[in-house]
Amino acid sequence: MSKRLSAGQRRAAILQAAKALFAENGLHGVSVDAIAERLNVSPATLYKHFASKEALYEAVINATACNRESYVDAVLRGPSDFASVLRRIARTFVDSVAADPDFLRMEMHAVLEGNPFAGRFFENRWKHFADYIEMGIRELAPLGQAATVDVPSATLLFQGMLREALYAKCVYQSEQYRDIPLHRLVDRCIDLFLRAIGYRERRLEGAA
Amino acid sequence: MAEFDAELDARGLNCPLPILRAKKSINELSSGQVLKIVATDPGAVKDFEAFCKQTGNELVSSKEQGSEFVFMIRKQ
Repeated sequence: MSKRLSAGQRRAAILQAAKALFAENGLHGVSVDAIAERLNVSPATLYKHFASKEALYEAVINATACNRESYVDAVLRGPSDFASVLRRIARTFVDSVAADPDFLRMEMHAVLEGNPFAGRFFENRWKHFADYIEMGIRELAPLGQAATVDVPSATLLFQGMLREALYAKCVYQSEQYRDIPLHRLVDRCIDLFLRAIGYRERRLEGAA
Repeated sequence: MAEFDAELDARGLNCPLPILRAKKSINELSSGQVLKIVATDPGAVKDFEAFCKQTGNELVSSKEQGSEFVFMIRKQ
């Protein structure tokens, strides 16, 4: 960052460098000096933009919150039955995470560090699925389209599979799953999930 | 006279549920009729703008009332 940057460009560069370091080492494992060194600037330059390391960490999280996944297109671009929408919103989510896997690493660190601010953010990022699955099963079960299952456990099952698929493909780069594209892996997990909740497809309406 | 023909209570719901419910509710309306949606998810503001842009329905109004967001959407 030796060349002259506008304030906006400098702020963006700081956020990007800080995110990479937080992803590698967590909030507590990164010092302001280390971020400054990565950017080849003085710590005083960082403090001009962010009051503290914690404020910078929150700004990194907030920058992602502003760019949260939009599921509007996922909902509109196909049939509205439970399984079809679940597949499309899952694809939207995994595409977003795969494009920026640093956030998976930040999430891991946040859990270990017990950071409440980051914890809320990451929990909310998964909440879309939790709410959708909970509502879906509660509505489908009385219609005979899903079994009477324990809803919180079903939600946990889905999140666990999706999260693990993302770790395997984007963080661990696992050999075992190397030849399976992420979308196919996610689709297979969703097939298993739908079987587990006793889902029976009954399309009540056609494509949007 | 009511300014809307149907109402959708999407309070407490997170995306994609308000959009999914709105899609179903609007399917049941005739052209020119208005759906009122009340939501609490702040993300709904951007979501319903995108929803109307993509579906061609008209976003008649989008208002914040306390902790709630009220949208009026006219079916094309």
